[in-house]
Amino acid sequence: MKNTFTQSMAWLHTWAGLIFGWLLFAIFVTGTLAVFDKELDHWMQPEIPATEVSQADAAQRAVAYLQAHEPKASNWGISLPTERSPGLRVSTGERRHGGGVQLDPRTGEAIEVRDSVGGNFFFRFHFTLDLPRNWGIFVVGALALVMLAALVTGIVIHKKIFKEFFTFRPNKGQRSWLDFHNASAVLLLPFHLMITYTGLVIFMLIYIPAGVDALFEGDSRAYFQAQGNARQEQPRQLARQPGELVDVAPLLAQAEARLGPIGGLNIRNPNTAGARIEIRPELGNRIALAKGQAMVFDGISGQLLSDVPEWRAAPLTQRVMVGLHFAQFGGYPMRWLYFICGVVSCVMIASGLVLFCVKRGRKYASATAQPSARRWYRVAEVCNVGFVSGLLLACVALLWASRLLPVELVQRESWEVRAFFGTWLLALLHAGVRPARRAWVEQLLLVALLCISLAALGGMADAMRVGVVACAMVLGVLLGLVAWRVRQAASAPQKTRAGRSVEAGA
Amino acid sequence: MMMWVTGGVLFAYAGMLALCQGLERHYKHVWNRPCPRGLRLGLRGVGWLALLVSLLLCAQAWGWAMGPVAWFGSLSLAGMLLVMLLPYWPRLAVGLSAAVPVWGVMLLLA
Repeated sequence: MKNTFTQSMAWLHTWAGLIFGWLLFAIFVTGTLAVFDKELDHWMQPEIPATEVSQADAAQRAVAYLQAHEPKASNWGISLPTERSPGLRVSTGERRHGGGVQLDPRTGEAIEVRDSVGGNFFFRFHFTLDLPRNWGIFVVGALALVMLAALVTGIVIHKKIFKEFFTFRPNKGQRSWLDFHNASAVLLLPFHLMITYTGLVIFMLIYIPAGVDALFEGDSRAYFQAQGNARQEQPRQLARQPGELVDVAPLLAQAEARLGPIGGLNIRNPNTAGARIEIRPELGNRIALAKGQAMVFDGISGQLLSDVPEWRAAPLTQRVMVGLHFAQFGGYPMRWLYFICGVVSCVMIASGLVLFCVKRGRKYASATAQPSARRWYRVAEVCNVGFVSGLLLACVALLWASRLLPVELVQRESWEVRAFFGTWLLALLHAGVRPARRAWVEQLLLVALLCISLAALGGMADAMRVGVVACAMVLGVLLGLVAWRVRQAASAPQKTRAGRSVEAGA
Repeated sequence: MMMWVTGGVLFAYAGMLALCQGLERHYKHVWNRPCPRGLRLGLRGVGWLALLVSLLLCAQAWGWAMGPVAWFGSLSLAGMLLVMLLPYWPRLAVGLSAAVPVWGVMLLLA
């Protein structure tokens, strides 16, 4: 630790930022990509047609398909086509993710769709790092705390927040990196603080279970029921008598009038006198995240049994914070705001990582430095390349894998994940054997090429898929520019003495 | 809705630009002469006013619950764009504010 308060804050910011920044960068990148998870899903499964079928028609076709193939199932799940997710999926049982059958919304026939982790992989990686779920949640929570600490210490050690509010001086080496790191952090500070804090709030009951333990003796079901999320008692007697299902279309219209756009429905105990139809809204009709909410109708009479519960003040507060993090509200303009803010956050973290090395480069990379110091400096350098450009490479490799792996491959999804981690590992190894600057240029250039050439994989049947490819292209061009600037800077140092670390342009 | 969204972002940029030009250092960087006191105060006033208009437009587009969220995002990104443009193309950074009257005309015609 150092003498003054500011010095110890600077120490904490530097070292916590470096050690945890590598994983924080991965979390921020995948979180940013997860803003468009459904769009990526759609691109990664080119078999799903983009159609304009009304939800009522689609729902009726789905029910007809389930009547024909699964009349005895205890539960039917139907995901309706929506603005962001044009597929129609039906499933049985309680499984929420995966499984199920994709139908063509125009005909109600089953279609063969390749298995793919989809954009959902980025979403899951964002909060678990692909570790076992609970472990991952704790690790990411700890990293979020470090991020908060880095933000607060950053504010403390940045003495000229307002004086240098609009300041960016390019082509000045270390100065430029610091300027960029400061400007991107200060200007987007509301976003950084909001996204980090609300991220912690999502799993607050996992991190701090004491409240539920004290009030409900650890019974989380009792806790959820107290919030008004009680599941309707299933009428067991009636569920044994046969019954005929009511038409779902009028119920959908009724629910849409009350809740806004509809995401899907569940039919419990179909074809019995105890049938229940649960209709759930799309997540983005309001800020508060409406996950788990549904209107419940009697499946025989079509009568409304229970409306969505109103949240009380405290749960509503939590839901709004979670909703702020999930960014499902406000339509596409809001989604783009979140995406671009996320991109700037990623670049902010990356610039901080690079700054660490730029600042120490002259001291530790020279021949006069102690061998052990040089070795540690090299580790930081390699990790910077491997965790920044290497992760980007892994992300784009996943997109390529989703299209290139043979469709009939067994356990195709886990091969996609292997492609992701395998590429990442290769990138780390590559960074380890190449000089740092060349490794940066080569990896960034490769990412740029892979992004730009996504279009070569074809399958751009509709606007959403074209959008994914166009966005990848723009990002690819930007990364290409960065690679070019780093390369330019690499040949510059002979000319100017201070030019050693000129590689601004992020 | 897109019209209000665009307006919200444009006014956020114009506001950040005016506030930035209201600072001695940045005015001098663009125009190579010191900024008269009156103009400086005027620019700051206009800047804050434009930010307020941006908030109103965001609320118009998204409502008062979501509007402020979008407003913060627009302010941040507008500021970021400005900071990136200023050192490379200072005149362009100032010229972009011409989009505000164009938007106004389109709003009147629409």
